[in-house]
Amino acid sequence: MKNNTSEFLKIGIFLFVLGLLFSQAGIKGEAKEKTFTVGFDAEFPPYGYADPDREGEYIGFDLDLAEEVCKRAGWTLVKQPIDWDSKDMELNTGSIDCIWNGFTINGREDKYTWSKAYIDNSQVVIVKKGSGIKKLSDLAGKVVAVQADSSALAAFTGEDASEENLALCESFSDLQEVGDYNSAFLNLDSGAVDAICMDIGVASYQVKNRGGDFEILEERVSSEQYGIGFKKGNTKLRDQVQGYLDDMLEDGSFARIAEKWGLSDAACLGKEGTDAAYLLDQDGAGKPSQKKKGLGFFLSVVKQLSKGMLASVSIFVLTLLFALPLGLLICMVRMSKIGIFRWIARIYISIMRGTPLMLQLLVVFFGPYYAFGIATSANFRFWAVIIGFTLNYAAYFAEIYRSGIQGVPKGQREAAFILGYSRLQTFWKIIFPQMVRRVIPPITNEVITLVKDTSLAFAIAYAEMFTLAKRVAAANASIVPLFVAGLFYYIFNFVIAMAIEKVEEK
Amino acid sequence: MSKAILEVKNMKKSYGDLAVLKDISFQVKEGDVCVILGPSGSGKSTTLRLATMLEQMDDGSLIYEGKVACESKQGKAIYRGKQELKKVQETYGLVFQNFNLFPHYTVLKNVMDAPVSVLKREKKEAEKEARELLAKVGLEDKCDAYPDQLSGGQKQRVAIARALAMHPKILFFDEPTSALDPEITAGVLKILRDLAKEKMAMVIVTHEIAFARKVADHVIFMDGGVIVEEGRPEDVIDHSNNQRTRSFLKKLEEA
Repeated sequence: MKNNTSEFLKIGIFLFVLGLLFSQAGIKGEAKEKTFTVGFDAEFPPYGYADPDREGEYIGFDLDLAEEVCKRAGWTLVKQPIDWDSKDMELNTGSIDCIWNGFTINGREDKYTWSKAYIDNSQVVIVKKGSGIKKLSDLAGKVVAVQADSSALAAFTGEDASEENLALCESFSDLQEVGDYNSAFLNLDSGAVDAICMDIGVASYQVKNRGGDFEILEERVSSEQYGIGFKKGNTKLRDQVQGYLDDMLEDGSFARIAEKWGLSDAACLGKEGTDAAYLLDQDGAGKPSQKKKGLGFFLSVVKQLSKGMLASVSIFVLTLLFALPLGLLICMVRMSKIGIFRWIARIYISIMRGTPLMLQLLVVFFGPYYAFGIATSANFRFWAVIIGFTLNYAAYFAEIYRSGIQGVPKGQREAAFILGYSRLQTFWKIIFPQMVRRVIPPITNEVITLVKDTSLAFAIAYAEMFTLAKRVAAANASIVPLFVAGLFYYIFNFVIAMAIEKVEEK
Repeated sequence: MSKAILEVKNMKKSYGDLAVLKDISFQVKEGDVCVILGPSGSGKSTTLRLATMLEQMDDGSLIYEGKVACESKQGKAIYRGKQELKKVQETYGLVFQNFNLFPHYTVLKNVMDAPVSVLKREKKEAEKEARELLAKVGLEDKCDAYPDQLSGGQKQRVAIARALAMHPKILFFDEPTSALDPEITAGVLKILRDLAKEKMAMVIVTHEIAFARKVADHVIFMDGGVIVEEGRPEDVIDHSNNQRTRSFLKKLEEA
């Protein structure tokens, strides 16, 4: 623990201590009962995923193993689904005891204290049947999806990626990072990507369960092994868990569980060459990972995030550019004299305000394919974000405008009528300027919310600021990128607030 | 005989089942100052709103300087087309009870914008005239002020200047003294008298008898949606034979 705290900035230390306090409190509160909290990505069948038959329950090969370990140790198992990008923070703050979730050792040997490898896994490529892609070299010029911070991504871009894989990745038109496998398959199905690269265990499970539309290429991208990742230096807990696993291998319960989940072929616990990572950390001999602190690191993080900042600013600017006038148009329709128009606008606004923006983004992006069979291109991603945001914010703006217009006293219209202004003149010269004044405060609120909402673009895997920050944070096992992201949002909003104040003075 | 600027014939108006105006007819002649008196709920405000076309009457006719705004046909008021009504509208102006100045325009722009935007007058010429009108109502130094920087009396004078800038033949005033202090009322009175001297026809809706007596050539007393009495102020106010007029006047004097 001491080793790690030194990596963090002051804020990091504060949060860390806070996490520590909470974890201590948790243990004290439980009295004698010891809990064992397993962190896992809840969308990673068959290793750990939400039970389709029982709401709120999680099942999987890894969770069964963990259950068995806890039974033997007399611990209470806590299954904690985590956001994969935040797994290091979860582990470092002690909110989970280990990452046990088809967790690839290769390339991460130094970042965690590892159990022995128990599953041998390889990265394979899934394509749509009849796509004409037969071998890895056919992927040249194609868009390939991988899960963010997955071993497939590491196989292509990680520090230990092989020359062949780097070259292969170079040949793709784009390597698209997606949040989870579900959206990866949505992307593949809709044609937004041409192939997905993932672990073979997951791949065979997914291909089997999604009907016959997909196939796995025979040629493999890489071979790798799964282990249980513990916080660097936590050999005590690791050794305890490993002891129980060894017992389970001995008495055949490991093999039984592997068979239950159809992973007998992949199971490799106890086989030769499975303990290389395990042997790195013996009795606290784990060496601290690279130091990451100081202004240099801070600046490098800012540089890494700058692309995301630009993306967030573009979403923000374009959304306002389109949503502010569109909102006015919707407001006009909403206040139209023709009843049917009024109702259409009303229903539109009610749907836009009554459903999550994230869902709307998914519909805009995947809708064209599922509704009309129009294949989605990769650069539609950005425009889908803009369209989704614009449609959503225009609905909010429309209602704000409407209340602004209704707030202008009736006498203003009457005075304009008596003076002979036309309807159009009355609106643009008399009503509109007064409405603008009235709506500035509520519009300001929406605009500030928009700055923060830009992070929702991650829903369709558009790499804006926050998505990138989480990725960089995970890659560096540091909270600094999140801190930088927070600072960015704050400064951004501060500038916006200042600008609006200037407008309001006029 | 001078000609009629405004003719209202058999005007009727109901809100739902409630008949607010039951057959109102009157005329206002050139240079005439007509005061409509009456208790609240008597229909005098509705009369003003219908005469200025802020609302439409159910039945009856409305004619300005011989230009027809609406005519009664088979028990219904039939209004003319938009273009014709626009022409009719240029005949009259209205000073609202709460003035309804445009808060986002300066005093000068409040007065000159409609002549430029609606009557398509030359901007320079309109500004020159607006400044003259504001000088006439004693506000030449407030040209660049915004309405919320003015007192009630000042706002009213801007509203009068704004109406005059459109060169109306007849000017309506809705309760011109209700939002003002008594001493300011004297100022308004002077402006109205000056306008009367210039032969501006005026229709003033009020419930202030003293004010009516000072300014009116012609008083219409309304109650319950009908014209109860009509005539010279001294006849209607001071020597009324009508029971309703007298009880209303008595109540006001007691108050």
